[in-house]
Amino acid sequence: MSTDTDPDVKDELARERLIELAAEFYDQFAEGDVPSMQIPTRTKSNIVFDEDNDVWVYGDRHSTRSANSVRGAQKLLKAVYTIEFLANQLDEDRSSTLRELYYLSESWDEERAQFSGQDESNQLVEDLEIVSGVTREDFHMRPEESGATIMGPLYLREQTRRGEREIHCQKDVGEGGYQIPNNPDTIEFLDNDADFVLCVETGGMRDRLVENGFDEEHNVIVVHLKGQPARATRRITKRLHDELDLPVVVFTDGDPWSYRIYGSVAYGSIKSAHLSEYLATPEAEFVGIQPEDIVEYDLPTDPLSDSDINALESELEDPRFQSEYWTEQIELQLDIEKKAEQQALASRGLDFVTDTYLPERLGEMGVL
Amino acid sequence: MTSFQSQLGEGDGDDPDPDPIAEELARSQRSISIAEFFEKNKQMLGFDSGAKALVTAIKEAVDNALDATEEAGILPDIYVEIEEVGDYYRLTIEDNGPGITKEQVPKVFGKLLYGSRFHAREQNRGQQGIGISAAVLYSQLTSGKPAKITSKTNNGGDAQYFELTIDTDTNEPEIDVEEGASWERPHGTRIELEMEGNMRARQQLHDYIKYTAVVNPHARIEFHEPKESFKFERATDDLPPETEEIRPHPHGVELGTLLKMLDATDSYSVTGFLQGEFTRVGQKTATSVADNLRDRHYGREVAWSAPQAHEDADIRAAVTAAVSNKGAEATKTLATNVAESVEDAGRVAHSEVVALVDEHAEAVGEEYDKTFGETVRENAVEAAWGEITADRRSDLYELVDDATTSRKDDAVVEAMARRLADKFDDQEDQRNRVTRDELREFVDRAADMTIERDDASFGETARENVVEAVWSQSVRVPDEVPKVKDVADDRDTAARLLEAMRETDILSPPTDCLAPISEELVYAGLEKEYEADFYASATRDAEVHGGDPFVVEAGIAYGGDLEDGGSVEVLRFANRVPLVYQRGACATVDVVKNINWRNYGLDQPGGSGMPNGPAVLMIHVASTNVPFTSESKDAVANIPEIEDEIELALREAARELKSYLNKRRSMEKRRRKQNVIAEILPEMAEKLSEVTDREPLDIDDSLARIMNNVLVERSVEDGTVELTVHNHGDTNVDPEITEIVSSDPGDHDDATVVEMDGEWFLKWSPTVAAGDTATLAYDIDGDADFDVSVEGIEAEKLTINA
Repeated sequence: MSTDTDPDVKDELARERLIELAAEFYDQFAEGDVPSMQIPTRTKSNIVFDEDNDVWVYGDRHSTRSANSVRGAQKLLKAVYTIEFLANQLDEDRSSTLRELYYLSESWDEERAQFSGQDESNQLVEDLEIVSGVTREDFHMRPEESGATIMGPLYLREQTRRGEREIHCQKDVGEGGYQIPNNPDTIEFLDNDADFVLCVETGGMRDRLVENGFDEEHNVIVVHLKGQPARATRRITKRLHDELDLPVVVFTDGDPWSYRIYGSVAYGSIKSAHLSEYLATPEAEFVGIQPEDIVEYDLPTDPLSDSDINALESELEDPRFQSEYWTEQIELQLDIEKKAEQQALASRGLDFVTDTYLPERLGEMGVL
Repeated sequence: MTSFQSQLGEGDGDDPDPDPIAEELARSQRSISIAEFFEKNKQMLGFDSGAKALVTAIKEAVDNALDATEEAGILPDIYVEIEEVGDYYRLTIEDNGPGITKEQVPKVFGKLLYGSRFHAREQNRGQQGIGISAAVLYSQLTSGKPAKITSKTNNGGDAQYFELTIDTDTNEPEIDVEEGASWERPHGTRIELEMEGNMRARQQLHDYIKYTAVVNPHARIEFHEPKESFKFERATDDLPPETEEIRPHPHGVELGTLLKMLDATDSYSVTGFLQGEFTRVGQKTATSVADNLRDRHYGREVAWSAPQAHEDADIRAAVTAAVSNKGAEATKTLATNVAESVEDAGRVAHSEVVALVDEHAEAVGEEYDKTFGETVRENAVEAAWGEITADRRSDLYELVDDATTSRKDDAVVEAMARRLADKFDDQEDQRNRVTRDELREFVDRAADMTIERDDASFGETARENVVEAVWSQSVRVPDEVPKVKDVADDRDTAARLLEAMRETDILSPPTDCLAPISEELVYAGLEKEYEADFYASATRDAEVHGGDPFVVEAGIAYGGDLEDGGSVEVLRFANRVPLVYQRGACATVDVVKNINWRNYGLDQPGGSGMPNGPAVLMIHVASTNVPFTSESKDAVANIPEIEDEIELALREAARELKSYLNKRRSMEKRRRKQNVIAEILPEMAEKLSEVTDREPLDIDDSLARIMNNVLVERSVEDGTVELTVHNHGDTNVDPEITEIVSSDPGDHDDATVVEMDGEWFLKWSPTVAAGDTATLAYDIDGDADFDVSVEGIEAEKLTINA
């Protein structure tokens, strides 16, 4: 999964891996065995910390997709059809979205190979990623939603279908910022003036920071996460950290779901733990809103709902949150039974976040 | 039709045992005309409606025909026809029985209403029937036409034709026409009846005929009615085993029957009567019954203990005083001997004292050359008995004290003993003879008094214990067992005999008097008449209810052409006769409804009641006396013992149904899976060879493995043919593999080789363990055609790739 290979060579490599997979099934048939494939169990209980890379990856537990049941046989049939489709796509240098794959299956003459829902096709693509070791971006599969945006003192070159483009992410872009492409590995960083990377969960807060000129004032690359970050967003964050050696901090709401957003940036998500090494930025730090901040700044709050409490309790058992810091914060939140949004800071004035909160927090963290 | 029926009310030779009900009916019948009688009782006789009359008439005739043929050892061939003739229906029933002679005709077809079989201990259809004669009478009363009977016996002569009517004034059958006739059957009987009726009970009629065919797989039955015709061929050539008529069992008779048996017997003694007339009664049992009868008839004598030394009573003095004029020495010896014997005996009853006195009087008389006459002995007995019974109270105190709990106050025991002693003291019979009932009365009165006067409690258990204590200290009297004549003349004595019989433990009756259909034939009968996928049957061992042995059988047919969507069909039979009316009142149906059929794979809304589904349930109760709910004999009564057996029989058959259904479901699942996978995998294989750009795949081996199937493959190389049998399953298989090859494979050690028209049949029977592979090899010269077939493995579990 290196970034600096020639795209054509990379495509050919991905295609080969897919065909190899098909060949494995072929050989199983030829030997009279029951075709099957092994996939790591994708649950919270099967992720382990990879000490070498400081990220969470899948453990040893596997499940077997085997053709000895009707369901299993159907899954494998779909897998083979998908392999064929992806191989052809790479051959023709086309790309498609996950949703297109789902609809496209409707056109397959073999009805039993068609997907019954998009979850199924999404999952199958993830399976193939895991088994082949090729990312879906390299299969030329992209997610439905476009990637998020970047705003900050960064100069880059993007390989587009219409040729190379050189873009400065403050000067050459509008208010909306630079749109992260689906495969950020087509980007080459040329130059930057940044001191650190600030990932922001909500659009409202991102706009506030840009309006207040926070990026310019502090030489910050503001990455808009747009909720649970897409792979491309996480990938570019990691590249900004690794290649430009910039510290990364994450600024989210103060509720259990937002902690998971931080978790997937920093440690990798459960669903894509096979790509943690490639997507996670273990050095990323959490800015807030911390439960502690709710108390300290006396922010307007909402009470925790039952699902919030369940989520917090489940996080206490999540291997990714087994640090002293997180245990303390989560227990504090369970204690005060409150949560707060990023925008709650506006209760202290529109500039409070850029003038007071962030400088204070970032100062504490040693980033500013 | 040799099923002779009895004459009403007349104890002729055929019928030693007419039923009380029949007798009663007959008595009333003498005062009214037969027509009126019939009119009044037609419901009971099964002729209460025009629709039912047809069914009943057919049923009687067919039952008779079956019995007649079977008794003669002939496989029944029965023809039934119903025709519309003007306002009437004409019924024709033919059988291939032995035929009947002119003399038998009136006996069989007229002058009677009730079957002779009420108390014959033999399983017989006739027991069920009310008599073909009722049908004859009904036809005569409604249409005015005589019964037309054609009969041919096996002696080679012509058939005889009779027209028969019943004189309704005298209830005598009359043969109006009698002439020779020709008939194509070698032997048999044909009866034609014209009667009022309607075909509204068509369904019941069809059911009756069909069910009769099911339950009599050895019979061939042809049936025609104005709209439809059926033919039922026989499924077996075996006649049902002949049933033994058994004598009644002592536990199964009623008082009326017993009285009649007593009247009719040649025996003089009760023990002889019991041994001669009942089953399972030998010398020992007869004696036990007789002893019990004596206890009930005479009572027992209570035994009292001899006076103790400290008591005032003195037997020796009393006896000495009572005997006079026999010389002092002889008198003294007699008195001393009697007194000593009584003391030795401990407790004595009056009859024992009599015996002792007699014994010593003889001996002493001989010694002293004196004669102790009747009067002297009586005086001596009276004197001794007076001394012995002088103090009953202390004896009773001991008994009552032992019999009651230690918590009883001594004063209460004392009072109870005193009052009970008073009863015996005051008893008219100074010998203190009491029946157990009388004894209980004494105890009750004494106890009631004690409760009242002494404010004590004396409950049921205590009373019964006291009765038991005294009774066990009582002695059976030496009086002779009443003679049969005495018992027969006195209803009360007869009742005592009946009680004595019931009280005595007697072996269950033998069961060879029953002819169950048998598991095989229940199966065959269902298979014959129902196109189903599955059949099961169960025959229980014989059980006994009230002296009558019975056997329950059940059968189940499922699936196939059976109608799905509603309740299952329930076939009820009693002694091989289908029951078609009063379904709701029948014990068989109650049992069916109380079983949880969901456990056995049948749908049952609400978990109880009639199960649904394409199934037929069959229940047969065979007994020497099937208990019915009413005289019309349409429903089996709810007798717990019989219900239990019905349930067990049904469950036995249902268990087979369950395992069949389970297997069927798992096979269906397997087949579905096989179908789906067998379609998916080739698609997948094709796609794989396309994607990988390799040659097409053979996936049979994988497929067999997936299905845990047995895979048979052939390979031919250099004239060596190898059949490999891979068992991917988890159990051993024993397939029979036949290879047909067009070239000579030579001889073989492990296979049989047969040549036929230039083709060689090689047959192997290997056992292949789970997960193993067997290789069957042979050599041929040059090219050949092959064809392999595999037996002994379900198609779903077999993959042949050869």
